[in-house]
Amino acid sequence: MIRKHRSTWLLAPVAALAALAILAAACGSTGTSGGTTNKGTLTIAGFDFAESSILGQLYGQELAHNGYTVNYKARLGKREVVAPAIKAGQIDMYPGYAATDLEYYNSAAGEATGDVTATVQKLNARLQPLGLEALTPSPAVDQNAFAVTKATATKYNLSKLSDLAAVGSELVLGAGPECPTRPFCQPGLEKTYGIHFKSFKSLDTDGPLTRAALANNTIQVGLVFSSDSDLNKLGLVVLQDDKHLENADNVVPIIRTKVATNDAKSILNKVSSNLTTAQLVTLNGQVELLHQDADAVARAYLQQHNYFS
Amino acid sequence: MSVLESVWNWFGDPAHWHGPDGIPTRLVEHLQLSGESVLLGALIALPLGIALGHYGRFGNLAINISNVGRALPSFGILVIAFQVFGLGELPIILALTALAIPPIVTNSYVALREVDPDIKDAARGMGYRELPQLLRVELPLAVPLIMAGVRTSAVQVVATATLAALIAGGGFGRYIVDGFAQLNYSMTIAGAVLVALLALATELSLSGVERLLVPRGIRLLMAPSLRRASTFKVA
Repeated sequence: MIRKHRSTWLLAPVAALAALAILAAACGSTGTSGGTTNKGTLTIAGFDFAESSILGQLYGQELAHNGYTVNYKARLGKREVVAPAIKAGQIDMYPGYAATDLEYYNSAAGEATGDVTATVQKLNARLQPLGLEALTPSPAVDQNAFAVTKATATKYNLSKLSDLAAVGSELVLGAGPECPTRPFCQPGLEKTYGIHFKSFKSLDTDGPLTRAALANNTIQVGLVFSSDSDLNKLGLVVLQDDKHLENADNVVPIIRTKVATNDAKSILNKVSSNLTTAQLVTLNGQVELLHQDADAVARAYLQQHNYFS
Repeated sequence: MSVLESVWNWFGDPAHWHGPDGIPTRLVEHLQLSGESVLLGALIALPLGIALGHYGRFGNLAINISNVGRALPSFGILVIAFQVFGLGELPIILALTALAIPPIVTNSYVALREVDPDIKDAARGMGYRELPQLLRVELPLAVPLIMAGVRTSAVQVVATATLAALIAGGGFGRYIVDGFAQLNYSMTIAGAVLVALLALATELSLSGVERLLVPRGIRLLMAPSLRRASTFKVA
């Protein structure tokens, strides 16, 4: 009996593998079907984290749908790898972040601000001599943000950071140990918003300590990133940065001017303009928490929002 | 400004001597974490080590417990315990207790094993029963070695309690971790100095406790000149 059981267990993975192989073959045969005529080939790269792969797929699949041939170099590396590659023409485009990319191309000159339009303008001034350009930034943003639990938000009626000024003295702020000396963190909250917290707790920057401390109410306000995949799952509400304390790290495609035709630009700008931070959180969650593939997640999003119809 | 000077100035700043992140608060936190852990560790390790040593059995068990305990990295325990128990003192106490146990078990085991069998025989001959013999004859003789174990354990725990800061705990480790994150190296070094001083103070004060616990007769017996004399005699 035992032996029989064991043999069926052993067979299960083999069967699963066989099924997978058949599925893969079936998928492969459908392939990538472009739209009408081929308008050219673009290589889209991404940084080495999930959000970048998703963004690359969103832009790439919509381009492919409109007749471009798209090659992907997902998870190519950090900006230190991706930026030299686009300068050298090895890739044609990557989904960038306005403020961080500006501070990369200007060698950390400190030009980035909370104003996204101004930040992208300065970014373009730096990109132009390199034969690159930044397109219209998306409202979707991945930047430092301050989150509270739904319970705290309801109790104090909080939706934006300026709401904290009146009640800050009852709340504890938690963030990485560097927060008390960084302009974007505690000093910025005091100066820009006039928020004086009851105390500060040294935790981590957007890590498990901050999440645990928010969950058990050790802290009421915690530093996170605005597009973190688990914000919805943990019931955290990001307070809107209504006075633009944080640098504008809006998603913005950075593309080689040579391939940036008006047609390609209008396709990419349409994707950017419709994407929100909340949607980005959901998409990140599907990839990071539910372990779906970035291309499948992007396809489902584009279908759902009638890009392919 | 030299490094030493800036560290000195850090200590001189009155702002660092009061408030929720002042030195007195951090000292109390550090002592509390270490004290609780050593106490808990001793409550587990002393009966175990003494019993194993007294009966002279399962010596391998004692040694193996110690070796496994020493092999477990405190940082590893800390991180796993944080995953299981979440934020708070418990993960820190667990990690430090695990660190506190091995030296006490080994030393108590060896201390009781090393009691001269002739003395035990003599005690039995004078009519001591098992428990009084353990309490009045063997333990007083074993105190110096047992206390050496407690001392080692306490010094290790005091030095390692700095890890608590990595999972949002208090203590002097706060200065090290926060100073590092804020690029305030005077604060980091000041934290390290404070931990080193506290470890030294722990060693010294426990030596004092040891002197109080060891009966005068045994202290004389252990005095270097006498020990040399008896070695000579045996030889």
